[in-house]
Amino acid sequence: MNVNILMGTLVYGSVLALLSLGITLIYMTTKVFNFAHPRLSLFGAYLAITAMAAYITGKGIQPDLTVHEGIIPYRLAYPASVYIIGAVVAIVGGIIAAMVEYYLILKPLLDRGSDYLQLMIATLAYDFILMAVLFLYNTHVKIVSLLNKINVQSTSVDFSSYDLYIMKGYLTIPGDALYSTLIVLIITAAIYILLFKTTLGVKMRASIENPPLAEVLGINVRRIYALSWIISGATAGLAGFFIMMRPSVAGLKPISATSPADEIVVSAFAGSIVGGVNSIFGSLAGGMLIGFIEVYVTFFIGIATGLGAITKYSRVISMFAVGLFLLFAPQGLAGLYKKYLAPPPAAPELGEEEHEEGEG
Amino acid sequence: MAGVVLKLEKVNAGYGKLQTLFDIDLEIPEGMITVIVGPNGAGKSTLLKTMFGLTTVYSGRVLFYGKDITRLPPHERAKLGMAFIFQLNNIFAELTVWENLKLAGHDLPQDVFRERVREVFKTFPRLRERLHQKAGTMSGGERQMLAMAIGIIRKPKIFLIDEPTAGLAPKLAREVLANVKRLNEQGYTVVLVEQNVKAGLEIGHKGVLVVNGRIAFDGPARELLAQKDLAKLYMGVV
Ligand SMILES: Nc1ncnc2c1ncn2[C@@H]1O[C@H](COP(=O)(O)OP(=O)(O)OP(=O)(O)O)[C@@H](O)[C@H]1O
Ligand SMILES: [Mg+2]
Repeated sequence: MNVNILMGTLVYGSVLALLSLGITLIYMTTKVFNFAHPRLSLFGAYLAITAMAAYITGKGIQPDLTVHEGIIPYRLAYPASVYIIGAVVAIVGGIIAAMVEYYLILKPLLDRGSDYLQLMIATLAYDFILMAVLFLYNTHVKIVSLLNKINVQSTSVDFSSYDLYIMKGYLTIPGDALYSTLIVLIITAAIYILLFKTTLGVKMRASIENPPLAEVLGINVRRIYALSWIISGATAGLAGFFIMMRPSVAGLKPISATSPADEIVVSAFAGSIVGGVNSIFGSLAGGMLIGFIEVYVTFFIGIATGLGAITKYSRVISMFAVGLFLLFAPQGLAGLYKKYLAPPPAAPELGEEEHEEGEG
Repeated sequence: MAGVVLKLEKVNAGYGKLQTLFDIDLEIPEGMITVIVGPNGAGKSTLLKTMFGLTTVYSGRVLFYGKDITRLPPHERAKLGMAFIFQLNNIFAELTVWENLKLAGHDLPQDVFRERVREVFKTFPRLRERLHQKAGTMSGGERQMLAMAIGIIRKPKIFLIDEPTAGLAPKLAREVLANVKRLNEQGYTVVLVEQNVKAGLEIGHKGVLVVNGRIAFDGPARELLAQKDLAKLYMGVV
């Protein structure tokens, strides 16, 4: 087992899980595939990089380069506040970009009764607009130079001061792998609680299943949808934050206005589809699975066949997995779960219609 | 004379660009059952949806107790005291019975909600037995009870009910209509769309015939029932 590859898989899988979750959530509520979704996370990442660099320079924080027991050449230690600021700003950035998309573009179209095709094209248009905005920003403020300001060694945001050393450093769990996985687990739990343990969650599930009925029961369905856009934007922003940690994983190019959103869009949608498109928990599992296939499985196919270059085509392999799912399990992981693992629903008692009463 | 709960004035409405209702003038009197009949595709469901703001109104006005609600979104109308029981998909199949009830009473104070749930259980004791079952797994009759129950919990001023007997066995259909009648006797104003013209008009006070998106008859239910040319009227060959 190659621990390093596995750790990379965890980061990348978490990023995909977060992205797929947002795509699925929007599909379930607004009934549109949001092609701009990965760019939302890049928008969050840009803001986060800017904020972190400004904070580090403004406060005159010096990174603490220390050698750790001779195992890792150095680690870049910033106070936790730097990373917390980065994560929060990324989340806020993702939410802003999502809100703009929903309120300024999609909601006006929905109010005019546009069909799903028009909405889908509109999300593509928004993607181009966001890309242009990021381009412009990049020409004025060199994002790479900001990244260099944060990390003297490379163009990623180093998180290694939060690595976890187990057995005297024999096994190292990198900070980004640890925290991204933890956050996906926490978000899964939080969404479960939201959906199944709160009244708001009941309203959300109701608005997803039957919007007109929810509406005639006095629920402002559009407001519920807006909430799903907030969650979607926030998780996209978080994904952007973690992409900064390890942009090289799965062949993603370093952060720039087009990359990695252009590359990751395919994988994120693959996660949503493999998850079952209509299942929130399916999307989280689907994202993780696609991440696993693209990094881990591809790596071992490369070793087994001696074709190391195959890792460049990891996305083809995950597309192959999507194809298999669509052919043999079109309902995705959620469908497989329902079919083989979920407890059977309580069977309705039949043949009782005849002695129905109804009065009290 | 009893007051008017809902009033439609020269309403033209439809779905998107497709107009399905033409120049509708209609009054729904308070405390009565207004029964809407007409052939398939005539626009009966569309008429109910238009009262609730679920269609596009091109011109005309919809008034609720004299207040113009033409542009009011459906969830606001629900808060004014309107309830709608759909023809199809009138419960949340993926939610449990309890969650369905909770959702219907989401804007009620806790104690009021509890009290109403008790009342609903008195009327439909079977729902209590099914409380934590997914609503979609219940029988057709039970679903129809739940659909009624989520309306009743809101204690609305007016009930719009779309073909509650569709697809039910005759005995069950009679029971459902008896329930509608009982609702009215408890003081609720009801607008009922019913495919069984005779059974529907028999429990109704006011009868409305819709043909091709227009009102072809508007008067006492008895009178509509007695029309010897009803079949002809129905076909729109007046
Ligand atoms: N959501 C919709 N979008 C577009 N057109 C619709 C929609 N719902 C109904 N229509 C059309 O509007 C017209 C009236 O339909 P409506 O459902 O009101 O008829 P109805 O009188 O209720 O018929 P039924 O007795 O079959 O229920 C029909 O031509 C129907 O095809
Ligand atoms: Mg109908």
